Amino acid sequence: MERTAGACGEQQKDSSFVAPRLACLVVPLFPLAARLRSEPALRDEAVVLCEGNGTAAHVVAATRKARKAGIRPGFTLPQARALLPDLLTRARDTESERAAMEALLDVAGTVSPRVEDAGDGVVYLDADGLERLFPDERDLGRALIAAAKRESLPARCGLASSKLAARVAATLPDSPVAVPAGGEAAFLAPLPLAKLDPEAEIVETLARWGLASVGDLAKLPAADVASRLGARGHALHEIARGRDPRPLVPRRPPPGFTEGMELEWPLVTLEPFLALAESALERLARRLEAEAVGCARLDISLTLEPEGCDTRSLDLPAPTRDVKTLLTLVRLGLEGRPPGAAVTGFSLTAQPDAPRKGQLTLFGPAEISPDRLAAALAKLFALLGPGRVGAPRAVDGHLPERFALVPFAPPPPPAVRKTPKTGRGLLSVRVLRPPVPLEVLLEDERPSSLRTLASAPPAPADGGGRPALDVAGAVRVASGPWRLEEGWWQETPAFRAYWDVELSAGGLYRIFRDEPGGEWFADGVYD
Amino acid sequence: MRTYVCRVSALSLPALPVPPNLPQDIAARLTTAAGLSRGRFAPEFLPTRIEGLDRLLGGGLPRGALVEMSGRASSGRFSVALSALAATTQAGEAAALVDPGDHFDPQGAAAAGAELSRVLWLRPRGLKPALAAAETVLATGFALVVLDLGLARILRRRFDDAVWLRLARRARFHDVALLVLAPYRVTGTAARVVLAADAARTGWDRSRESLSLLDGLSSRLVLEKTRDPNMKERTSLLNLSLLDAVRAGTKERKICLEREREENAVALSSRLSAFGH
Repeated sequence: MERTAGACGEQQKDSSFVAPRLACLVVPLFPLAARLRSEPALRDEAVVLCEGNGTAAHVVAATRKARKAGIRPGFTLPQARALLPDLLTRARDTESERAAMEALLDVAGTVSPRVEDAGDGVVYLDADGLERLFPDERDLGRALIAAAKRESLPARCGLASSKLAARVAATLPDSPVAVPAGGEAAFLAPLPLAKLDPEAEIVETLARWGLASVGDLAKLPAADVASRLGARGHALHEIARGRDPRPLVPRRPPPGFTEGMELEWPLVTLEPFLALAESALERLARRLEAEAVGCARLDISLTLEPEGCDTRSLDLPAPTRDVKTLLTLVRLGLEGRPPGAAVTGFSLTAQPDAPRKGQLTLFGPAEISPDRLAAALAKLFALLGPGRVGAPRAVDGHLPERFALVPFAPPPPPAVRKTPKTGRGLLSVRVLRPPVPLEVLLEDERPSSLRTLASAPPAPADGGGRPALDVAGAVRVASGPWRLEEGWWQETPAFRAYWDVELSAGGLYRIFRDEPGGEWFADGVYD
Repeated sequence: MRTYVCRVSALSLPALPVPPNLPQDIAARLTTAAGLSRGRFAPEFLPTRIEGLDRLLGGGLPRGALVEMSGRASSGRFSVALSALAATTQAGEAAALVDPGDHFDPQGAAAAGAELSRVLWLRPRGLKPALAAAETVLATGFALVVLDLGLARILRRRFDDAVWLRLARRARFHDVALLVLAPYRVTGTAARVVLAADAARTGWDRSRESLSLLDGLSSRLVLEKTRDPNMKERTSLLNLSLLDAVRAGTKERKICLEREREENAVALSSRLSAFGH
């Protein structure tokens, strides 16, 4: 972007003043665009956005198809329907507008860290220092428009050295339009004074002076304008001369990414809600991808009828952008704990986190791709539920069934593949969780035969209702007892007498007698 | 034009029309690109560190293949799985255990040498989610996936045989060693190697008077099916000693103490009865 010296007014004389280059992104008919972003199926329909209730309802914006039928903003709803009986109507949706505005700010944030939220689909960004990326300013504008289009927002772009000039340039056809540095005054000169948005009192004065355009005001001597109209008049004069004193006010990026919408009618079943949630999650995923982050926690907020709110959070084992996985988690969360009332609106907030990084090695074993691992973990989490996926951890204690699960985050593989230590075959124990109740017959206080009780819990893998351990038979060898005591300070301490028993029919089991109650259980199988 | 591909491992390949001026050591490592797709390279193995089993399998669990091991309770299946998990994680690779029976003992695995931080433990609540979970982890990049179907009888009508073919195909595509443990054969034609553990015998240490202590377990491994012609042996002995020697010692002491206490109690009561109480 070649900066040329100012060609008009005092800007030429004041060499110390270097106005920053600004880009302005504008989404025309922003409330409608935000609504269509949430409901893309309506894009090719005749739709109007209404404000107000009952007979006071009036059209705020209309799609191209509705405009072709003659519907204009300001029409009442009956007037619009008279022109187009099949007209679809939607109310203004503040949640959609907020999400669309955030998406537009994210788009601007992809090229510049200094972005200002001007509201109502208008965003300013600092375009200084982008010469190497975009030698032609119009390329920057095209890139911004394309990025906004990917977010389903039809944006226009203007570039100039003042906010007003950039804003006006953005409204012109053949977007993007770049106003050369220093050419702002000439660019604004033919515009009507109303573009400067002056106060009513000043408008009246300027009209009395016979001024009609911005150029007329710019031609007046600055000192005389200041002496007659005061500080506000002076600021207006500066803007008219292409020197916008309003600085860019960069926004602080919010911690999360939010998408959501207000619903036309309350939803009482899950499936229609999930269809809308999927669309919102897809938009979230696109925004997360643009920032190269993943969703580490998904906050769900449901607006309930007639009033109230249901909020919940889903913690993910690893940051992910996989829509299918996130949707499954939402489904499981809502199925597990329904909101209890009809839903009239929702918002989904993704708390971002940097995805894990992988490092390739030449001679060591390959590391699992962090992205793939994150997606798989989230999928498994959705499939199996909480507390069912993780890395095991040894826990201090004596009870054999003890265990702990921690999030699976394997350390990086060694630089060189290690040779596993040679060892002998070690006999290990299958732990039975929970212990299986047994009926045990004793001879000389030693187990002589045992049988699984009918009250034993079924095996999870079977599905046929059979117990996890279904044994019966005479004991061939019994070794024991050895005692185990743990948690004597607790309300339910463990006092157990353990035996290793081998059955005549085969099978080597670890059984114990619960000392206080005298019941027998099997808690392990040597296998 | 013929394409030549060089691999680091030396292979015994049929003679190729290689350029005459090529050094012999390099020429020995060459094969055609077509040869690669035919899988003429020796498969990689994940050793289990159990000597008899590794010998039987030609080096360990073959990567990219489904290995099924069946056997009754106390046949040593689970110990083989833990040993394979320990060996894989010690080599610095990640392994996954799909455990619908919830039988895994982290303390025991750590004692067996497994690096628990490299083990992904999945505890599905049924066979169907277990198979789905196995399918997911197979596509993730783990070196070893163990699917333990537990001890209980599995209803065959609960799943289709095509499931195993799909899992085997995933394992081959992602170069994962998939070990399936089941009470009896379930994988049908999908398995590349099928092992059966039978004739299990428990070893008891009877060196102490009136006291038997569990010493270990041995069973016979039978290679029921293999698609690898290099696997010559058909049977091997699986000898497993008790996992934790220290724990065995502690147990022994406890039993002895228990006996001693009981004997003291008997002696005390006899003395009391002698004094007429």
